[in-house]
Amino acid sequence: VRYSPALLEHFLNPRNAGLMREPDGVGAEEYEGCGDLARFFLRVRDGRVSEVRFQTYGCGPTIAAASAASERVRGRAVEELLSLKPQEVEDAVDGLPDDRKHAADVVAGALRAAALDALRRQRGGVC
Amino acid sequence: MSRRVYLDHNASTPVHPEVLAEMLPYFSESFGNPSSVHGFGREARAGLDTARERVARFLGVAPEELVFTSGGTESDNLGVKGLAWARGRGHLITSKIEHHAVLRACQWLESQGFAVTYLGVDEHGVIDPDEVKRAIRPDTIGISIMHANSEVGTIQPVAAIGAIAREHGVPFHVDAVQTFGKLDIDVAAAHIDLLSFSAHKIYGPKGVAGLWIRKGTKMVSVQHGGEHERRRRAGTENVPGIVGLGKAVEVRGREMHDERRRVTALRDRLWEGIRARVPDARLNGHPTERLPGTANISYRGVESESVVLGLDLKGIGVSAGSACTSGSVEPSYVLVAMGVPLDWAMGAVRHSLGRSTTAEDVDYVIESVEPTVRKLRAAMPVGAA
Repeated sequence: VRYSPALLEHFLNPRNAGLMREPDGVGAEEYEGCGDLARFFLRVRDGRVSEVRFQTYGCGPTIAAASAASERVRGRAVEELLSLKPQEVEDAVDGLPDDRKHAADVVAGALRAAALDALRRQRGGVC
Repeated sequence: MSRRVYLDHNASTPVHPEVLAEMLPYFSESFGNPSSVHGFGREARAGLDTARERVARFLGVAPEELVFTSGGTESDNLGVKGLAWARGRGHLITSKIEHHAVLRACQWLESQGFAVTYLGVDEHGVIDPDEVKRAIRPDTIGISIMHANSEVGTIQPVAAIGAIAREHGVPFHVDAVQTFGKLDIDVAAAHIDLLSFSAHKIYGPKGVAGLWIRKGTKMVSVQHGGEHERRRRAGTENVPGIVGLGKAVEVRGREMHDERRRVTALRDRLWEGIRARVPDARLNGHPTERLPGTANISYRGVESESVVLGLDLKGIGVSAGSACTSGSVEPSYVLVAMGVPLDWAMGAVRHSLGRSTTAEDVDYVIESVEPTVRKLRAAMPVGAA
């Protein structure tokens, strides 16, 4: 089986897909190799992620990884997301084939960027 | 998931039951080497001869002009390289939308000192015969153009191109892997000199194909060894496979004309149904001059592989125009040559229908495409492509 049941389930029923009005943090990451793209929107309350939305453009694993990661990061401290590793995203979909590892890279990168954006806004930095 | 619908007939087809039945004795009963003089060999030789006669009759050619090969790729390589090597040097004309078997054979020939012109196509994927004419040089030694494109199904004006080739005395190779057994091919009227064809696109087995070489065409062999196939293709013949090819051709002779009408109607039903339900969808390829069963449809703003996966999970087999492998994705070179914009080309999905496809299958696919594309678009940023 090429993809795990968890991956296929997230692909078929993506959670938290779509835009967010007036987010507290936005971040995107693109994988140059194939143009896969993920963009995350975070709502932050008391330093923690209270709501997540995402948009992706890419193959099935990228959509599934974004959906699974969106569930994993809700409730977590924003600062913690600055060091989010692709492996954690991959674990959320019970593994990725070797030629689809970039799905986890793109999603983790976009979430780190969104967390950084949220912290900068919170501290009055440049968005 | 209970229903399964196979719409990838341009990739391969199931072996027809009559074909399988004809092949089976040649695995274990009539298993001899057709080059052997004894009775076992003669039985196998008889199967080979029957198959050769069936294919020859179907194409309206002489049996001895046929060479059986291991697949369409080998047929194309033999056709293109055999023509070129027999002449030693010179210039070839082909198109940008040929199958990789022709394209990469031509690229390799370039590395060996041959010159190659790669002709462009119009928005529908059609090669202009006048461009072929303009590309001919005094040292042109061959023209290779496909009869119909496997991705978008566009049928090329091979008769017009053949007339030009003949007028200039240039041998003309046609890759007919996608049309053989689906459309009528008149090699005499179209002035074709070499024709590649395959079994597994027409309900025959994989691993067997052929190249028709007009008598008198100067060719050399690409692989060397025994005296098989009149010294044009060394190697013991794949007897069960060739027997299957012969039977598949005979069945096509009975079925292809009715099937063409039926499958064309289903193909159009599919596109009309999708167009009515899915916004931002377009049909790639020629609107009418197209393979009966081929509908290449782009869904703007989604990535085709995710559509293929989404439909696969509903039991539907289609294929993606672009593929993300080893971390890189390229839009289809055929669609790029046709000038299809990138945000459309990346979302191209090929649906190819065949003899077992029913109206219910088509309606199921139409019903499945709409929610699949809608859900994918909901997760995808507008204009990200």
